[in-house]
Amino acid sequence: MHLRSTAGDRLGAVNRGRRLGSLPFGVCAAVLTLWCVGAGAADTRVVPYAGSRGSVTSLTRTELRDIFFARQTKWPNGDPIRVFVLPDRHPLHVRFSKEVLGVYPYQLRSTWDRILYSGTGIPPTVVNTPQEVRKRADDTPGGIGYAEE
Amino acid sequence: MLSTTPRGIARVLGTVTGLLIGLAPPAHAIDLGFRDFQMHGFASQGYTYTSANDFFGNSQGAGSLEFTELGLNVLGHPLPNLLFAVQGLYRDTGGSDENDFRLDYANLDLSLPVSDDLTFGVRGGRVKNPFGFYNEARDAIWTRPGVLLPQSIYFDSLGLRTSELASDGGLLYGRYRFGDHAFTTELTISELITDPTTVDFITGFVAGPGTLSGRPLLVGRAGYEWQEGRFRLLFTAVDVDQDFEPSSPQGSPGNAKIFAPLVSAQVNLEDWSFTGEYLRLDSDRSGFTPGGVLLENTSESYYLQAQYRFAPRWSALARYDALFANSDDHDGSAMARATGLPRHRFYAKDLTFGLRWEFLDDWLVAAEYHNVDGTAWLSPIDNPGINDPARVREVSDGHWDLFTIMFSYRF
Repeated sequence: MHLRSTAGDRLGAVNRGRRLGSLPFGVCAAVLTLWCVGAGAADTRVVPYAGSRGSVTSLTRTELRDIFFARQTKWPNGDPIRVFVLPDRHPLHVRFSKEVLGVYPYQLRSTWDRILYSGTGIPPTVVNTPQEVRKRADDTPGGIGYAEE
Repeated sequence: MLSTTPRGIARVLGTVTGLLIGLAPPAHAIDLGFRDFQMHGFASQGYTYTSANDFFGNSQGAGSLEFTELGLNVLGHPLPNLLFAVQGLYRDTGGSDENDFRLDYANLDLSLPVSDDLTFGVRGGRVKNPFGFYNEARDAIWTRPGVLLPQSIYFDSLGLRTSELASDGGLLYGRYRFGDHAFTTELTISELITDPTTVDFITGFVAGPGTLSGRPLLVGRAGYEWQEGRFRLLFTAVDVDQDFEPSSPQGSPGNAKIFAPLVSAQVNLEDWSFTGEYLRLDSDRSGFTPGGVLLENTSESYYLQAQYRFAPRWSALARYDALFANSDDHDGSAMARATGLPRHRFYAKDLTFGLRWEFLDDWLVAAEYHNVDGTAWLSPIDNPGINDPARVREVSDGHWDLFTIMFSYRF
């Protein structure tokens, strides 16, 4: 499965295929099959992106849910958390919801609407493009969003 | 019919103007430039037609446009774990809601994480009452599965609505999570918000004008959810104890106690959601009439609802919703004998089918058809004479249809 997560571009995939060519046929075929299955589902992966705060890959799914469902509003160092997301039906948003948070996008929307109209929390800021998510996460202290890599 | 009166025309023009201003919409919210402070709003306009009886204005004949909901809110964190939130609301639904502008919520919320898995918090001010799945945010159609919520539990045309929605006081809450499981609890201690129709409802329509006072309202809610709501279970209990002081010397003082347990369950699949809620409302009323005896009553309400998200911007709704004014008298015959009113005044069974379409981001239209047997949740203000044994048969019909459609824009 690590092949799926790192096979970002075609060139890399081709090089990897050549290296695998020297392995026994069975192993080679199995690995290629795995890669193909992975590539068929998605060529890239979606990760949380916290801009200048550096890597946030250490955040667990549970912690990410607390952040994106707007329950956790403060980083461990005390800074406020600011969350940036794409519109509900944007493919990247759908993938982040399902693959990273493990929820359907409508679960997020229904929670965000409930907290907004009951005065019990602040939904994430919606921006229009993945570039804008990165930029806002970079420029905003405590900002977090997601990105494709 | 109201669209032909000056007030009706003014209302429609106002709403349309609001929607047109929205045509150059701010991007999702207005950033107020201070920390994360932001402003959101919504404007919803509905139309209602009924084959008999009136719902949200004079809905027979040409139908009624008296179904307007406008909201504007400001939210922000002065400190990372301190939330400030205030929302003003204008709402008009004919005789069912004549309060026009109101402060919907205005609260400060301090959350205090004890550990990664356990959080406590306190909220104070005008708070939305935690009651079932839909109560806290119900005046924004964006939180509703269709145009109308099930009227057996979320009363929109009965007097209890005002008290159901919000109260002035404080709320303590807690949340504990364990992997995919989360347990939540909320306890509200607050002053009941009432208007004259609420007083009528709580006193049982026998007391005439007056005021209520008494110990604070208690609302408790405990919940369990799995995977952020794929499965949700809630138990809510409301406890009211109010003394009534008549405003005229002919009236008699009295006391009303209401205890209302509500059980709620929901399953959320990728394309389907299934929801059910069951409410009992126990009331003990004493006094109110000279030599008045203790009057005990328990009403019963429930609904079962399916939602189907069959395309990215579309969802369909089917629901069966039932209210019985007395849980031991589902066909209303005993209460009809006691009051002289027809049986249909004491139940309402509503079969609903609806569609909802988010035709653009932040715009939606929803429409639904109700086939209703019974009149128990109709407004006595929109339906004068409906509580008068001499007139009720002429002004109401136990079998009726309701069609309603609503447009909404938000930012």
